[in-house]
Amino acid sequence: MAAMFSQNPLMNGPNYSFSDAPKTARGEPREHAFNPYTDNGGSTLAISGADFTIMAGDTRHTSGYSINSRMSPKVFKIGGTTANQDDATIVLSVCGFAADGEALRDRLDTICKIYRYRHGKPMSLNACAKRLSTILYQKRFFPYYTHAMLGGLDDEGKGAVYSYDPVGSYEREQCRAGGAAGSLIMPFLDNQVNFKNQYIPGSGEGHDLKERERRTLSRPQVETIVKDAFDGAVERHIEVGDTLQMLIITKEGIEEVFLPLKKD
Amino acid sequence: MTSIGTGYDLLNSIFSPDGRNFQVEYAVKAVENGGTSIGIRCKDGIVLAVEKIVASKLQKPNANKRIASVDSHVGAVYSGMIPDGRHFVDRARDEAQSWRQNFKTPIPTADLASRMGGYLQAYTMYGSVRPFGITAIVGGVDTSEETPVDGEVGSGPAVGAGGKVPGKHGGPFLYMIEPSGLYWGYYGAATGKGRQAAKAELEKLDLPAGNITIHEAVKEAARIIYIAHKDNKDKEFELEMTWISTVDGPTKGRHVEVPKELREEAERLARAEDESDDEEEEEKKDDDNKMED
Amino acid sequence: MDHRPQAWGRPRDDVYGAYDHSYMQENGPKQNTQQPIVTGTSVIGIKFKDGVVIAADNLASYGSLARFTDVKRLRPFADSSILGFSGDISDMQYLDRHLTELSLSEAYESPDKPRLNAANLHRYLSKLLYNRRSKFDPLWNHLLVGGLDDNGEPFLAAADLLGSTYSAPSLATGFGAMLAQPIMRRYVPDEESAKKLTREEAVDIVKEAMKVLFYRDARSLDTYSLAVVTKDGVELKEDEKLENQSWAFADRIKGYGTQTV
Repeated sequence: MAAMFSQNPLMNGPNYSFSDAPKTARGEPREHAFNPYTDNGGSTLAISGADFTIMAGDTRHTSGYSINSRMSPKVFKIGGTTANQDDATIVLSVCGFAADGEALRDRLDTICKIYRYRHGKPMSLNACAKRLSTILYQKRFFPYYTHAMLGGLDDEGKGAVYSYDPVGSYEREQCRAGGAAGSLIMPFLDNQVNFKNQYIPGSGEGHDLKERERRTLSRPQVETIVKDAFDGAVERHIEVGDTLQMLIITKEGIEEVFLPLKKD
Repeated sequence: MTSIGTGYDLLNSIFSPDGRNFQVEYAVKAVENGGTSIGIRCKDGIVLAVEKIVASKLQKPNANKRIASVDSHVGAVYSGMIPDGRHFVDRARDEAQSWRQNFKTPIPTADLASRMGGYLQAYTMYGSVRPFGITAIVGGVDTSEETPVDGEVGSGPAVGAGGKVPGKHGGPFLYMIEPSGLYWGYYGAATGKGRQAAKAELEKLDLPAGNITIHEAVKEAARIIYIAHKDNKDKEFELEMTWISTVDGPTKGRHVEVPKELREEAERLARAEDESDDEEEEEKKDDDNKMED
Repeated sequence: MDHRPQAWGRPRDDVYGAYDHSYMQENGPKQNTQQPIVTGTSVIGIKFKDGVVIAADNLASYGSLARFTDVKRLRPFADSSILGFSGDISDMQYLDRHLTELSLSEAYESPDKPRLNAANLHRYLSKLLYNRRSKFDPLWNHLLVGGLDDNGEPFLAAADLLGSTYSAPSLATGFGAMLAQPIMRRYVPDEESAKKLTREEAVDIVKEAMKVLFYRDARSLDTYSLAVVTKDGVELKEDEKLENQSWAFADRIKGYGTQTV
């Protein structure tokens, strides 16, 4: 199980993120017993901009080497009042064990709805983020096996992304990639969103090198980065592919886009 | 009711000196004021019908159903106090469900009638309760097929020990259960305000001979309810009818409402006969008048 | 001989060794299902323009023993949906009884037409399975649910013992995911192609896939059940036979068992 969320390949030969045969602590093959978890693969990505946030994920659903479905979205609108979540303002993405992900989505959605009915206004992203952390931690000893991310606009109207570990530890970030190809995408984001390791050529030697000026990215720029990130992930990770789902949250509402990815 | 006022009618658990339970007899009175219910048992199924008195014009037509399903193959109709009837149906459903849990097979109509008879009888023995103010007609078609146990694996041995018993099984059954807990099996059953007229008509059908089909029985049932209603003409009513055919029939052994077209056709015929009867009576009256002249 | 009443009905100590009384103890850890016992193999399903076709063979295996050969693993619900069960047969029977109860109580509330469509039923069952897995007491099944959704469109979805759910134009459980799914996906790679598929084509594809499963799945049978669900209801045939089998390919298989050339 340790391998499931590890972003590193196992050391004993070629491996995939969905773990190898179960072993006991002494390294013997473990007797077959019920394991309540599985990994359904896929990747998610969230980037916040000045007045927007983009939440994205692929739509592939896998079991081991098999593709169960090519259209099984893992990015959800949360807390709307209608069945199609038309008036939602918050977006949740879940990656890992899909059944836990959907259970988590349902829990958070009902909580947001109840908040809306009691207070007559939608939950703020900040409050929702804290609440999600509590929900995850309530299952500290039987966790929701998911990498969750929450996106939307903060109280000032700025784009905001919160990312979580399976037991509720969380942080507001500029951007985050999660799931199977999280470790493949994250360095790309460090470079392209946060301008890490970008220097002005010829501006000096060694520590004197000047960093390239950091700019906030426009919406078209971020959309391009998201697409490129997934095209890269699809190329290198077998559990990622089929369709890219992108939700763009602005003060006007939430736009949803589906774009084709490689199906191999 | 000569003993009224002697005190023997105040409690369920006390007999009168001449061996009567007055509470039960009063419950029967409650039944006798209710809209007429009838049941017909034919070779190929069961028909249930009720004269549903419309208490208010503000009620939605064809809503507020009076005939209930107990299990997929059993229906129940009752005359008297409707809330008591509702409770009767709830209990019957519980019995049917627990039978399925215990025996993995649908409850035979006879067993359901027996259980419900026992249930109603218990309400005649205690001072703390009153008897049911209903007489219920329970009809069902016990499957004639090889009864599959819910989710059974395989079909079992074809012959020998644990094998099939040859011969006919199941079929349509009809029971009427009274407030005392008394129940009998019937070919035709009627209860409620118009029961006397209805019984007279049912007897004319010679049901034990098994000559009429459920399709004919639907028309007869409609006609009988219209006749039974004659004693109650000042009140509006709706005709509600359900049926259960054998597995090879139109309902495939299930208790369902009689299709709208069929019911309306039966009602049209019933109404036509009703009117021609009235005309005859009118003519007769005219004749009488003429004679007097 | 031990004549004490405590020893009555127990295996003889001198023959079988001391009796382990912990078996009869009520306290101590409770053990739930750790593995399926009698099992059914693959269920396969495919959408077509007016509905769904689902099939499963009639075998229940006890390990490698073909234990029961006339087990019906497809179950209609309210004559508007069809369920296909693979995995543990006793858990299938439990679900079957549970659904009978559900359909009866649903019929009390809505006698004229069923309130639960296939999509509702799938959601209900996946919640049931997820709740049981969360209690560490799973129902060891992998289900396919076929029928129509809220908009009257063909619906096909899977739910498994972990509560995982997914939907696709064609689905298969167990071995079928390896052997039948690639065949079916050739015909319905996406929803658009499923919308063009006729009923006859869908049935032919499923029959072909069942044949391939019988060729290669050692826990399968050539007698199977096949159901077609449309808006007009469920048509279920429970005694289908595989047609036009050809084992010619078997000659060409090399490198197994005692055969070395």
